[in-house]
Amino acid sequence: MTTQEAGPDSDFRQQVVDTMTAVLARLLDHPEPITENMRLMEELGLSSTLGLELLLELEDQLEILIDVEQLGPDQMGTVGDMATFVAGHSRPA
Amino acid sequence: MTALEAVSVYLPPGRIPIENLAGRLGLSDMQVKLFHRFHGLRTVGRDPQASLYDLLLHAATGLDALRGQEHRVRYVLHARAMPVVAAYPANPLHDLCRALGLGHALAFTVTHQSCASGLLAIDLAGRLLATDTAGQPAGEPEPLALVLCGEKAFTRDAELFPDTTVFGEGASACLVSAAGARDRLLAYACQVRGEFDSATGENDARLQREYRPTLAAVIRQALAEAGTALDDLRLILPHNVNLVTWQRMCLLLGFPRERVLLDNIPTSGHVFCADMFANYRTACDRGILQPGDRYLAAAVGAGGAATFAAMVFEH
Repeated sequence: MTTQEAGPDSDFRQQVVDTMTAVLARLLDHPEPITENMRLMEELGLSSTLGLELLLELEDQLEILIDVEQLGPDQMGTVGDMATFVAGHSRPA
Repeated sequence: MTALEAVSVYLPPGRIPIENLAGRLGLSDMQVKLFHRFHGLRTVGRDPQASLYDLLLHAATGLDALRGQEHRVRYVLHARAMPVVAAYPANPLHDLCRALGLGHALAFTVTHQSCASGLLAIDLAGRLLATDTAGQPAGEPEPLALVLCGEKAFTRDAELFPDTTVFGEGASACLVSAAGARDRLLAYACQVRGEFDSATGENDARLQREYRPTLAAVIRQALAEAGTALDDLRLILPHNVNLVTWQRMCLLLGFPRERVLLDNIPTSGHVFCADMFANYRTACDRGILQPGDRYLAAAVGAGGAATFAAMVFEH
Protein backbone atom coordinates (compact mmCIF):
# COMPACT_ATOMS: atom_id res chain seq x y z
CA MET A 1 0.00 0.00 0.00
CA THR A 2 1.16 3.54 -0.61
CA THR A 3 2.30 6.07 1.95
CA GLN A 4 1.14 9.65 2.20
CA GLU A 5 4.65 10.96 1.67
CA ALA A 6 4.90 9.19 -1.68
CA GLY A 7 1.38 10.24 -2.64
CA PRO A 8 -1.46 7.78 -2.60
CA ASP A 9 -2.19 5.73 -5.66
CA SER A 10 -4.88 7.63 -7.54
CA ASP A 11 -6.86 4.56 -8.60
CA PHE A 12 -6.96 3.32 -5.04
CA ARG A 13 -7.88 6.76 -3.77
CA GLN A 14 -10.79 6.87 -6.22
CA GLN A 15 -11.87 3.46 -4.97
CA VAL A 16 -11.83 4.87 -1.43
CA VAL A 17 -13.89 7.88 -2.52
CA ASP A 18 -16.47 5.69 -4.25
CA THR A 19 -16.79 3.40 -1.24
CA MET A 20 -16.90 6.31 1.18
CA THR A 21 -19.66 8.15 -0.63
CA ALA A 22 -21.80 5.01 -0.82
CA VAL A 23 -21.27 4.18 2.86
CA LEU A 24 -21.88 7.77 3.95
CA ALA A 25 -25.11 7.97 1.98
CA ARG A 26 -26.37 4.90 3.81
CA LEU A 27 -25.05 5.81 7.30
CA LEU A 28 -26.37 9.35 7.14
CA ASP A 29 -29.48 8.51 5.12
CA HIS A 30 -28.47 11.35 2.82
CA PRO A 31 -30.90 11.79 -0.09
CA GLU A 32 -28.60 13.80 -2.40
CA PRO A 33 -25.41 12.47 -4.03
CA ILE A 34 -22.36 12.90 -1.78
CA THR A 35 -19.34 14.48 -3.41
CA GLU A 36 -15.65 14.83 -2.57
CA ASN A 37 -15.91 18.50 -1.66
CA MET A 38 -18.59 18.09 0.98
CA ARG A 39 -17.50 18.82 4.55
CA LEU A 40 -17.91 15.76 6.72
CA MET A 41 -18.95 17.36 9.98
CA GLU A 42 -20.33 20.77 9.18
CA GLU A 43 -22.19 19.83 5.99
CA LEU A 44 -22.95 16.14 6.38
CA GLY A 45 -23.22 16.10 10.18
CA LEU A 46 -20.83 13.18 10.66
CA SER A 47 -20.22 12.52 14.37
CA SER A 48 -17.08 10.96 15.86
CA THR A 49 -18.96 7.73 16.41
CA LEU A 50 -20.26 7.53 12.86
CA GLY A 51 -16.77 8.48 11.66
CA LEU A 52 -15.42 5.33 13.29
CA GLU A 53 -18.24 3.28 11.81
CA LEU A 54 -17.33 4.69 8.41
CA LEU A 55 -13.69 3.68 8.89
CA LEU A 56 -14.71 0.19 9.93
CA GLU A 57 -16.91 -0.20 6.86
CA LEU A 58 -14.05 0.99 4.65
CA GLU A 59 -11.73 -1.55 6.25
CA ASP A 60 -14.24 -4.35 5.72
CA GLN A 61 -15.18 -3.46 2.16
CA LEU A 62 -11.69 -2.59 0.90
CA GLU A 63 -9.97 -5.31 2.99
CA ILE A 64 -7.51 -2.87 4.50
CA LEU A 65 -6.32 -1.76 7.94
CA ILE A 66 -6.34 2.01 8.45
CA ASP A 67 -3.74 3.66 10.69
CA VAL A 68 -6.28 5.58 12.78
CA GLU A 69 -3.64 6.81 15.24
CA GLN A 70 -2.57 9.37 12.65
CA LEU A 71 -6.09 10.57 11.87
CA GLY A 72 -6.52 14.12 13.16
CA PRO A 73 -9.07 16.88 12.56
CA ASP A 74 -7.11 18.18 9.56
CA GLN A 75 -7.75 14.92 7.73
CA MET A 76 -11.46 15.02 8.44
CA GLY A 77 -12.34 18.24 6.62
CA THR A 78 -13.96 17.03 3.45
CA VAL A 79 -14.83 13.63 2.02
CA GLY A 80 -11.81 14.05 -0.27
CA ASP A 81 -9.47 14.89 2.62
CA MET A 82 -10.42 11.75 4.44
CA ALA A 83 -10.15 9.62 1.32
CA THR A 84 -6.63 10.94 0.75
CA PHE A 85 -5.74 10.06 4.32
CA VAL A 86 -7.20 6.55 4.10
CA ALA A 87 -5.47 5.87 0.77
CA GLY A 88 -2.16 7.02 2.22
CA HIS A 89 -2.39 5.46 5.66
CA SER A 90 -3.64 1.95 5.12
CA ARG A 91 -2.28 -1.48 4.39
CA PRO A 92 -3.80 -4.74 3.18
CA ALA A 93 -5.67 -6.56 5.95
CA MET B 1 1.14 19.93 49.95
CA THR B 2 -1.37 17.12 49.34
CA ALA B 3 0.35 13.80 48.79
CA LEU B 4 -0.55 10.20 48.05
CA GLU B 5 0.95 8.04 50.80
CA ALA B 6 -0.08 4.65 49.42
CA VAL B 7 -2.35 3.23 46.73
CA SER B 8 -3.99 -0.18 46.55
CA VAL B 9 -6.18 -1.49 43.76
CA TYR B 10 -8.45 -4.50 43.45
CA LEU B 11 -9.57 -5.70 40.06
CA PRO B 12 -11.62 -8.90 40.07
CA PRO B 13 -9.73 -11.77 38.44
CA GLY B 14 -12.79 -12.75 36.37
CA ARG B 15 -12.91 -11.23 32.90
CA ILE B 16 -15.86 -11.24 30.51
CA PRO B 17 -15.37 -10.70 26.77
CA ILE B 18 -17.31 -7.69 25.49
CA GLU B 19 -19.13 -9.84 22.94
CA ASN B 20 -20.58 -11.94 25.78
CA LEU B 21 -22.32 -8.82 27.09
CA ALA B 22 -23.73 -7.85 23.69
CA GLY B 23 -27.10 -9.57 24.09
CA ARG B 24 -27.81 -8.12 27.50
CA LEU B 25 -26.63 -4.64 26.54
CA GLY B 26 -28.33 -4.68 23.15
CA LEU B 27 -25.10 -4.16 21.22
CA SER B 28 -25.16 -4.80 17.46
CA ASP B 29 -22.38 -6.77 15.76
CA MET B 30 -21.11 -3.45 14.37
CA GLN B 31 -20.94 -1.90 17.84
CA VAL B 32 -18.98 -4.87 19.17
CA LYS B 33 -16.60 -4.65 16.21
CA LEU B 34 -16.10 -0.95 16.87
CA PHE B 35 -15.30 -1.62 20.51
CA HIS B 36 -12.75 -4.24 19.44
CA ARG B 37 -11.13 -2.51 16.51
CA PHE B 38 -10.94 1.15 17.49
CA HIS B 39 -11.82 1.42 21.17
CA GLY B 40 -9.45 -1.39 22.06
CA LEU B 41 -11.89 -2.94 24.52
CA ARG B 42 -11.71 -6.73 24.74
CA THR B 43 -12.71 -7.78 28.24
CA VAL B 44 -13.99 -6.18 31.43
CA GLY B 45 -13.73 -7.27 35.04
CA ARG B 46 -16.85 -8.65 36.67
CA ASP B 47 -17.37 -10.41 39.96
CA PRO B 48 -21.04 -11.35 40.23
CA GLN B 49 -20.51 -12.76 43.72
CA ALA B 50 -18.85 -9.63 45.14
CA SER B 51 -20.87 -6.74 46.53
CA LEU B 52 -19.70 -3.13 46.46
CA TYR B 53 -18.62 -3.62 50.08
CA ASP B 54 -16.53 -6.62 49.04
CA LEU B 55 -14.80 -4.69 46.23
CA LEU B 56 -13.94 -1.78 48.52
CA LEU B 57 -12.81 -4.10 51.31
CA HIS B 58 -10.45 -5.95 48.93
CA ALA B 59 -8.85 -2.63 47.91
CA ALA B 60 -8.62 -1.24 51.45
CA THR B 61 -7.15 -4.37 53.00
CA GLY B 62 -4.43 -4.27 50.36
CA LEU B 63 -3.29 -0.97 51.80
CA ASP B 64 -0.42 -2.07 54.05
CA ALA B 65 0.33 1.52 55.08
CA LEU B 66 -3.09 1.76 56.74
CA ARG B 67 -2.41 -0.99 59.29
CA GLY B 68 -1.63 0.45 62.69
CA GLN B 69 -2.41 3.96 61.43
CA GLU B 70 -6.19 3.75 61.62
CA HIS B 71 -6.32 6.26 64.48
CA ARG B 72 -4.76 8.90 62.20
CA VAL B 73 -7.52 8.63 59.59
CA ARG B 74 -9.91 11.54 59.98
CA TYR B 75 -11.81 11.32 56.71
CA VAL B 76 -13.00 8.50 54.51
CA LEU B 77 -14.21 9.66 51.09
CA HIS B 78 -15.95 7.37 48.66
CA ALA B 79 -15.72 8.86 45.16
CA ARG B 80 -18.34 7.43 42.85
CA ALA B 81 -19.68 7.88 39.37
CA MET B 82 -23.09 6.62 40.47
CA PRO B 83 -24.89 8.89 42.95
CA VAL B 84 -26.98 6.06 44.43
CA VAL B 85 -25.63 2.54 44.95
CA ALA B 86 -27.55 1.05 47.85
CA ALA B 87 -31.09 1.14 49.18
CA TYR B 88 -31.66 2.81 52.56
CA PRO B 89 -30.70 1.88 55.27
CA ALA B 90 -27.84 -0.11 53.69
CA ASN B 91 -24.63 1.89 53.72
CA PRO B 92 -21.62 -0.04 52.42
CA LEU B 93 -19.27 2.85 53.22
CA HIS B 94 -20.22 2.98 56.89
CA ASP B 95 -20.08 -0.82 57.10
CA LEU B 96 -16.60 -0.71 55.62
CA CYS B 97 -15.41 1.97 58.04
CA ARG B 98 -16.53 -0.16 60.97
CA ALA B 99 -14.82 -3.25 59.54
CA LEU B 100 -11.56 -1.37 59.01
CA GLY B 101 -11.52 0.19 62.48
CA LEU B 102 -12.33 3.60 61.02
CA GLY B 103 -15.68 4.11 62.72
CA HIS B 104 -14.35 7.32 64.27
CA ALA B 105 -13.63 8.94 60.87
CA LEU B 106 -15.95 11.34 59.11
CA ALA B 107 -17.15 9.34 56.12
CA PHE B 108 -18.90 10.78 53.09
CA THR B 109 -19.33 10.25 49.38
CA VAL B 110 -18.11 12.47 46.55
CA THR B 111 -20.33 12.29 43.48
CA HIS B 112 -21.79 14.34 40.63
CA GLN B 113 -18.55 14.62 38.70
CA SER B 114 -19.08 11.06 37.41
CA CYS B 115 -15.77 9.36 36.72
CA ALA B 116 -13.82 12.54 37.52
CA SER B 117 -15.03 12.38 41.15
CA GLY B 118 -11.91 10.44 42.18
CA LEU B 119 -9.58 13.34 41.42
CA LEU B 120 -11.95 15.75 43.15
CA ALA B 121 -11.88 13.50 46.25
CA ILE B 122 -8.07 13.65 46.40
CA ASP B 123 -8.19 17.43 46.21
CA LEU B 124 -10.93 17.64 48.86
CA ALA B 125 -9.11 15.25 51.20
CA GLY B 126 -5.90 17.24 50.92
CA ARG B 127 -7.65 20.53 51.59
CA LEU B 128 -9.54 19.19 54.61
CA LEU B 129 -6.32 17.79 56.06
CA ALA B 130 -4.43 21.01 55.36
CA THR B 131 -7.05 22.96 57.31
CA ASP B 132 -6.77 20.51 60.22
CA THR B 133 -2.99 20.50 60.34
CA ALA B 134 -2.84 24.31 60.24
CA GLY B 135 -4.17 24.49 63.80
CA GLN B 136 -2.59 21.30 65.07
CA PRO B 137 -0.18 21.36 68.06
CA ALA B 138 3.39 20.34 67.26
CA GLY B 139 4.25 16.70 67.87
CA GLU B 140 0.81 15.30 67.09
CA PRO B 141 0.67 12.59 64.43
CA GLU B 142 -0.15 13.85 60.98
CA PRO B 143 -3.78 13.16 60.06
CA LEU B 144 -4.69 11.07 57.03
CA ALA B 145 -7.64 10.61 54.71
CA LEU B 146 -8.69 7.44 52.94
CA VAL B 147 -10.01 7.98 49.42
CA LEU B 148 -11.95 5.01 48.07
CA CYS B 149 -13.20 4.49 44.54
CA GLY B 150 -15.16 1.52 43.35
CA GLU B 151 -18.46 0.53 41.81
CA LYS B 152 -20.57 -2.36 40.71
CA ALA B 153 -21.68 -2.43 37.09
CA PHE B 154 -25.18 -3.09 38.31
CA THR B 155 -27.46 -1.54 35.70
CA ARG B 156 -27.23 -1.07 31.94
CA ASP B 157 -26.19 2.57 32.45
CA ALA B 158 -23.48 1.37 34.83
CA GLU B 159 -22.26 -1.20 32.30
CA LEU B 160 -22.17 0.82 29.11
CA PHE B 161 -21.66 4.34 27.82
CA PRO B 162 -23.05 3.88 24.31
CA ASP B 163 -20.53 3.93 21.46
CA THR B 164 -17.83 5.03 23.91
CA THR B 165 -16.90 2.53 26.59
CA VAL B 166 -17.80 -0.53 28.63
CA PHE B 167 -17.35 -0.30 32.38
CA GLY B 168 -15.44 -2.82 34.44
CA GLU B 169 -15.81 -3.51 38.13
CA GLY B 170 -13.00 -2.79 40.56
CA ALA B 171 -11.96 -0.60 43.46
CA SER B 172 -9.06 1.46 44.74
CA ALA B 173 -7.96 2.75 48.14
CA CYS B 174 -5.60 5.67 48.51
CA LEU B 175 -4.15 7.10 51.69
CA VAL B 176 -3.80 10.86 51.45
CA SER B 177 -1.80 13.23 53.65
CA ALA B 178 -1.56 17.01 53.75
CA ALA B 179 2.19 17.23 53.61
CA GLY B 180 3.71 13.92 52.57
CA ALA B 181 6.85 13.49 50.53
CA ARG B 182 5.56 10.81 48.15
CA ASP B 183 3.54 11.60 45.05
CA ARG B 184 2.99 15.23 45.86
CA LEU B 185 0.08 16.96 44.14
CA LEU B 186 1.45 19.98 42.29
CA ALA B 187 -1.71 21.16 40.56
CA TYR B 188 -5.36 20.31 39.96
CA ALA B 189 -7.43 21.79 37.15
CA CYS B 190 -11.08 21.07 36.58
CA GLN B 191 -13.80 22.30 34.27
CA VAL B 192 -17.45 21.41 34.86
CA ARG B 193 -19.69 21.80 31.82
CA GLY B 194 -23.31 21.65 32.93
CA GLU B 195 -24.65 22.04 29.43
CA PHE B 196 -23.48 18.52 28.56
CA ASP B 197 -26.20 16.73 30.50
CA SER B 198 -26.52 13.27 29.00
CA ALA B 199 -30.05 12.92 30.37
CA THR B 200 -31.37 15.36 27.79
CA GLY B 201 -28.93 14.37 25.05
CA GLU B 202 -29.43 17.81 23.50
CA ASN B 203 -25.73 18.60 23.28
CA ASP B 204 -24.29 15.13 22.67
CA ALA B 205 -22.90 16.06 19.24
CA ARG B 206 -21.29 19.20 20.67
CA LEU B 207 -19.79 17.17 23.52
CA GLN B 208 -18.23 14.81 20.97
CA ARG B 209 -16.69 17.78 19.17
CA GLU B 210 -15.50 19.59 22.29
CA TYR B 211 -14.47 16.58 24.40
CA ARG B 212 -10.81 16.37 23.38
CA PRO B 213 -10.12 20.12 23.01
CA THR B 214 -11.64 20.76 26.46
CA LEU B 215 -9.63 17.97 28.09
CA ALA B 216 -6.49 19.27 26.36
CA ALA B 217 -7.18 22.77 27.72
CA VAL B 218 -7.61 21.43 31.27
CA ILE B 219 -4.40 19.41 30.96
CA ARG B 220 -2.52 22.51 29.78
CA GLN B 221 -4.02 24.52 32.65
CA ALA B 222 -2.87 21.94 35.23
CA LEU B 223 0.60 21.87 33.68
CA ALA B 224 0.83 25.66 33.75
CA GLU B 225 -0.22 25.78 37.39
CA ALA B 226 2.36 23.10 38.19
CA GLY B 227 5.06 24.97 36.30
CA THR B 228 5.66 21.84 34.24
CA ALA B 229 6.12 21.54 30.49
CA LEU B 230 4.25 18.79 28.66
CA ASP B 231 7.56 17.34 27.47
CA ASP B 232 8.73 17.05 31.06
CA LEU B 233 5.97 14.60 31.96
CA ARG B 234 7.26 11.09 32.36
CA LEU B 235 3.80 9.65 31.98
CA ILE B 236 0.12 10.37 31.58
CA LEU B 237 -2.24 8.17 33.57
CA PRO B 238 -5.44 8.36 31.52
CA HIS B 239 -9.01 7.51 32.27
CA ASN B 240 -9.57 4.21 30.53
CA VAL B 241 -12.45 5.37 28.35
CA ASN B 242 -11.04 3.80 25.18
CA LEU B 243 -7.91 3.69 23.02
CA VAL B 244 -8.97 5.86 20.11
CA THR B 245 -9.82 8.82 22.34
CA TRP B 246 -6.32 8.80 23.78
CA GLN B 247 -4.65 8.17 20.42
CA ARG B 248 -6.34 11.33 19.20
CA MET B 249 -5.58 13.17 22.45
CA CYS B 250 -1.91 12.41 21.86
CA LEU B 251 -2.13 13.87 18.36
CA LEU B 252 -3.89 16.96 19.67
CA LEU B 253 -1.47 17.49 22.56
CA GLY B 254 1.65 16.54 20.63
CA PHE B 255 2.51 13.95 23.28
CA PRO B 256 3.98 10.52 22.50
CA ARG B 257 1.46 7.73 22.84
CA GLU B 258 4.14 5.50 24.37
CA ARG B 259 4.11 7.72 27.46
CA VAL B 260 0.37 7.27 28.06
CA LEU B 261 -0.38 4.14 30.07
CA LEU B 262 -3.06 2.51 27.97
CA ASP B 263 -2.29 -1.10 28.80
CA ASN B 264 -5.22 -1.68 31.14
CA ILE B 265 -7.91 -0.60 28.69
CA PRO B 266 -8.14 -3.86 26.69
CA THR B 267 -8.36 -6.10 29.72
CA SER B 268 -10.15 -4.10 32.42
CA GLY B 269 -12.26 -1.53 30.57
CA HIS B 270 -13.21 1.77 32.18
CA VAL B 271 -13.19 1.18 35.94
CA PHE B 272 -15.20 4.31 36.79
CA CYS B 273 -13.21 6.58 39.17
CA ALA B 274 -10.52 3.98 39.88
CA ASP B 275 -8.74 4.12 36.50
CA MET B 276 -6.11 6.62 37.63
CA PHE B 277 -5.21 4.52 40.66
CA ALA B 278 -5.12 1.25 38.69
CA ASN B 279 -2.85 2.87 36.14
CA TYR B 280 -0.68 4.35 38.90
CA ARG B 281 -0.19 0.89 40.41
CA THR B 282 0.69 -0.56 37.01
CA ALA B 283 3.26 2.20 36.47
CA CYS B 284 4.81 1.64 39.91
CA ASP B 285 4.78 -2.15 39.65
CA ARG B 286 6.62 -1.92 36.34
CA GLY B 287 9.12 0.59 37.68
CA ILE B 288 8.10 3.21 35.11
CA LEU B 289 7.99 6.06 37.66
CA GLN B 290 11.26 7.06 39.30
CA PRO B 291 11.65 9.46 42.23
CA GLY B 292 11.31 13.02 40.96
CA ASP B 293 9.34 12.05 37.86
CA ARG B 294 6.35 14.23 37.14
CA TYR B 295 3.19 12.65 35.81
CA LEU B 296 -0.34 13.72 35.02
CA ALA B 297 -3.62 11.98 35.82
CA ALA B 298 -6.58 12.83 33.62
CA ALA B 299 -10.26 12.05 33.96
CA VAL B 300 -13.51 12.93 32.27
CA GLY B 301 -16.85 12.34 33.88
CA ALA B 302 -19.87 12.33 31.60
CA GLY B 303 -23.36 12.04 32.97
CA GLY B 304 -25.49 14.70 34.62
CA ALA B 305 -22.83 17.11 33.33
CA ALA B 306 -19.39 16.69 31.83
CA THR B 307 -16.37 17.24 34.07
CA PHE B 308 -12.85 17.46 32.68
CA ALA B 309 -10.07 17.15 35.25
CA ALA B 310 -6.31 16.82 35.42
CA MET B 311 -3.79 16.55 38.23
CA VAL B 312 -0.01 16.89 38.08
CA PHE B 313 2.05 14.92 40.61
CA GLU B 314 5.71 14.52 41.45
CA HIS B 315 6.68 10.97 42.34
